[in-house]
Amino acid sequence: MDSYESTHQHIASSRLKDYFIGATPLQKRLESVRKQTSFVPTPPRRKIPQCSQLQEDNDPQKVAFLLHKQWTLYSLTPLYKFSYTNLKEYASLLSAFIAAEKQKGLAVEVGEDFNIKVTFSTLLGMKGTQRDPEAFLVQILSKSQLPSENREHKVLWTGWFCCIFGDSLLETVSEDFTCVPLFLANGAETNTAIVGTWFQKTFDCYFSPLAINAFNLSWMAAMWTACKMDQYMAATEFLWSVPCSPQSLDISYAIHPEDAKALWDSVHKTPGEVTQEEVDLFMDCLYSHFHRHFKIHLSATRLVRVSTSVASAHTDGKIKVSLNKSSYVIFPYCYIVFKMYGICIFHIEEAQWNANLRQ
Amino acid sequence: MDETVAEFFKRTILKIPMTEMMTILKAWDFLSEKQLQNVNFRQRKESLVQDLVLLCEKKRASVHDAALLDIVYTQFHRHRKVWDVFQMSKGPGEDIDLFDMEQFKSSFKKILQRALKNVMVSFRDAEENAVWIRIAWGTQYRKPNQYKPVYVVYYSQTPYAFTSSCPLRSNIPLLGQALTVASNHHKIVKMDLRSRYLDSLKAIVFKQYNQTFETYNSTTPLQEKSLELDIHMDSRIIHENRIEKERVQRVTQETFGDYSQPRLEFAQYKLETKFKSDFNGDILAERKEPLRCLIKFSSPHLLEALKSLAPAGIADAPLSPLLTCIPNKGMNYFKIKDK
Repeated sequence: MDSYESTHQHIASSRLKDYFIGATPLQKRLESVRKQTSFVPTPPRRKIPQCSQLQEDNDPQKVAFLLHKQWTLYSLTPLYKFSYTNLKEYASLLSAFIAAEKQKGLAVEVGEDFNIKVTFSTLLGMKGTQRDPEAFLVQILSKSQLPSENREHKVLWTGWFCCIFGDSLLETVSEDFTCVPLFLANGAETNTAIVGTWFQKTFDCYFSPLAINAFNLSWMAAMWTACKMDQYMAATEFLWSVPCSPQSLDISYAIHPEDAKALWDSVHKTPGEVTQEEVDLFMDCLYSHFHRHFKIHLSATRLVRVSTSVASAHTDGKIKVSLNKSSYVIFPYCYIVFKMYGICIFHIEEAQWNANLRQ
Repeated sequence: MDETVAEFFKRTILKIPMTEMMTILKAWDFLSEKQLQNVNFRQRKESLVQDLVLLCEKKRASVHDAALLDIVYTQFHRHRKVWDVFQMSKGPGEDIDLFDMEQFKSSFKKILQRALKNVMVSFRDAEENAVWIRIAWGTQYRKPNQYKPVYVVYYSQTPYAFTSSCPLRSNIPLLGQALTVASNHHKIVKMDLRSRYLDSLKAIVFKQYNQTFETYNSTTPLQEKSLELDIHMDSRIIHENRIEKERVQRVTQETFGDYSQPRLEFAQYKLETKFKSDFNGDILAERKEPLRCLIKFSSPHLLEALKSLAPAGIADAPLSPLLTCIPNKGMNYFKIKDK
């Protein structure tokens, strides 16, 4: 709670009173989350979303921009008094804040010309249901000094906020809050830290790094393996780390994507959804095939990374969608969202979990 | 001294870490002790390099001297390269000939020069009758490239040669030919064995590591070890699986021996085997094709890590022969198919 309290000092004094008597809206919300879930229930099954369920009114160029980049995941508590109509204002405030941070100690006027530019924009369609708030994108661009190149801005840092199938979370927050519990950042960590600080100060929220545990990594591997593709670009690969002393040992287990798909199809019995039993059986099959050859129990080791033709994820909270632009054109948009779904669905449970932990 | 030679000297000296500068220059044995004493080794590296290049220039150092310095540097930093192993054999009825190192060198050089014209070959004799060879490749029309050389280590009168990875794949057959002819062999094959640790590769192919299969001698120290363990344990705790633990220890020791393992950092297995299910008979039961997998093990010290798996409860004892055969077979790249 330390960092939360320290950022809280900057919030308007009218709210300080509430804070001291222990009834900030945030705390009320956390209270209700705590009541609702004393521990995070693991969904025994997950539906594979159909196109009709998903938003089709997307901006293909923007979505294409999200592919092929490595994103570091953070979970985020709801934003207090965030408004989609103020995006322009946020952009200039954040840009002034960044400039101030970069030249610490010097007074900076809002709206002054700096070498960087900040933009806020919505990412249409990046959501699971109609009720989910719109996703939005924040970018730090470098401004060219030459007037001729004025239109060409180089992207220095990108972050986006989204909520996909956030129903259970949305029920627990009051109207003053915007719930975008997943934050994904690409770019220098110092920029992530500055942007994070500004959001914490401005919207009374809290970021925490989102590690992906082996359980969720297996889910992602299974869901991504399940995707039928015309052309597979990479093997389905698992990386295990073996905690043996005195020497560490890494085991990479790559399966030809067509064979991995065949194995999944053989395990997968319930149309339209993926069940926990299927994911477990899929992993157990891989374990037993490995054990038959090497007599090593992979189940006793630690799964640290999964990567497929569709996407890859690392236990330290880094993900990357590997589909390239050409496959993006080939595949319907819902397909991409489906990948994002695979990435994002778990975070909601995790976000709740984190909220509980911080009590 | 030619400008390109001066540049080659400069780049080679720059590679050497300051802490090893004196040792490597002494091993190079080109500049005299007295000359080295007059050099200020406490100045900035850039200035030191400049002084040393000037000194070499004064002594009329040639490109061959620079190549020798590069070999010395590489000998010190041999673990920075990944080494391949080539195995040669004699034809039927071919007898062991008398081996002459000078003849080997001149014949090796001749074969390469005949084919490429612009190739530079340097030799440096090393311990245990080994010779280090440095080859800077050129073509008919282009001068040898000093910055992408290949190093070869050949132990005289043995059928093995170790080479650093070759940037020009097309030159590998030529290199093989030069080695075979110069060492009076008939045939050469690249082994499925690779490592950064040249000395471990040597230990594996020359069977110099100690793998003891005698259980008679090793039972005594094993008992001592298990007793030692017990001292640190609470006496009230009873090991229910003590017998099993001792069996795992014994089997591991029988497999790997008491001695430290040769050092390898990776092993790779291309599996093309049919999937057989333990749980559920119908998983992939219809499928005739094998499951295509590529398994890569990597560790700072692979064999020691594998040795510790069964005692840690992560693997069965004995471990799979696919893993334990690595030093015996002298292989760490495998293709596995169903019989």
